[in-house]
Amino acid sequence: MAAAAMRPSMGALGRISTSTPSPLRPLTQTASLSTTAALLKRHKYREARVYRDNSKHRGESAIHRSGTRWRLSMSDEPLPRPVPRDKLPAIETDPDHGLWEFFQNRSMVVNSPPEIAKHGRSWTAEELRHKSWDDLHRLWWVCAKERNRIATANWERNKSGLGFGEAEMRERDNAVRQTMRSIKHVLTERFYTWEDAIKVAEKDPEVDLTGNGPAFTPSNFLEDSDVAATEGEQQAAEATEEAVEKAEPAAAATPESATIPSSQQQTDTPRL
Amino acid sequence: MQPTRVLQALRYRRLRLTTKDVNKGYYKGTGTGSTGRHTKHGGYIIEWDKVRTYVCPPLDGFKLTPFVTKNMSRTYGSYETKLGPKDPATYLARWKSENGLD
Repeated sequence: MAAAAMRPSMGALGRISTSTPSPLRPLTQTASLSTTAALLKRHKYREARVYRDNSKHRGESAIHRSGTRWRLSMSDEPLPRPVPRDKLPAIETDPDHGLWEFFQNRSMVVNSPPEIAKHGRSWTAEELRHKSWDDLHRLWWVCAKERNRIATANWERNKSGLGFGEAEMRERDNAVRQTMRSIKHVLTERFYTWEDAIKVAEKDPEVDLTGNGPAFTPSNFLEDSDVAATEGEQQAAEATEEAVEKAEPAAAATPESATIPSSQQQTDTPRL
Repeated sequence: MQPTRVLQALRYRRLRLTTKDVNKGYYKGTGTGSTGRHTKHGGYIIEWDKVRTYVCPPLDGFKLTPFVTKNMSRTYGSYETKLGPKDPATYLARWKSENGLD
């Protein structure tokens, strides 16, 4: 009963909601159509049917070029003419737009194969072991951007049928991917070593991992005995420093700036 | 799962495992996670806390490139211990010498 009683009022509600303007719709529009005269014009001419003709294309002929039988409302309106291309205003683009980073060269769609082949080798894991977390994180994104550039160039070359360059691009891509693999390798290795080092540190009397007080309390403050105690560790640190020093002059001597690894080797940054 | 002898002789084990090789309940997937949940009406609601967001760190002034010059030969580490770079003792010693704080 309640439902039956509700029914007419619900119907009335529906009618009300359709007739009242929605609050979402702006009320600025006053006419239902555009008030342009051409659209509202209705031609009344001789021989116009008073009843509806079900055959829409009656009397139209492709052979006799008859056109439409009925005159259209805009038949006597002048048609717009396209603006010649040289008269069009120049398209303004942002010279510093971020999408430009998808291209290796702004003046060319795709670099030539010799240009593509100009790249160095990939990073080795040992070289990346001396980098900080932030450096590796940023290098990963540099690699990702380079791969985006490669993919864009490949797509452009396929699209336009520009020919050679696929093999060079593949080699370049492989080098970038090898660098990315090495980054992953180093970070995974660092994490596992960190986990193992915590286990070692729990047994170390010098290290306090409880969070109360300093984490590291050297048992001996004297430099000499310190050296004697950690001789092996010092050697390991020296070995890494030597490797870095070896890397630096070689990098500085290269003429090609794009492939020079950073001379700011961050050996002093903490790896934790 | 051990396939029958016939399939083993056909080097069946060398083939990639598909959903047709095993009984029902096996979900192969593509390694990607979900970004929402299915509704009972067949729709899908995206849960934005499940959608992956990757934040690129600021790269201004970052000089490293994906490549190293070929003038420099590949460097490999030489380590005294058997574990090499994975040696936790070396890690701890380096932490003590460089940081020792956190």
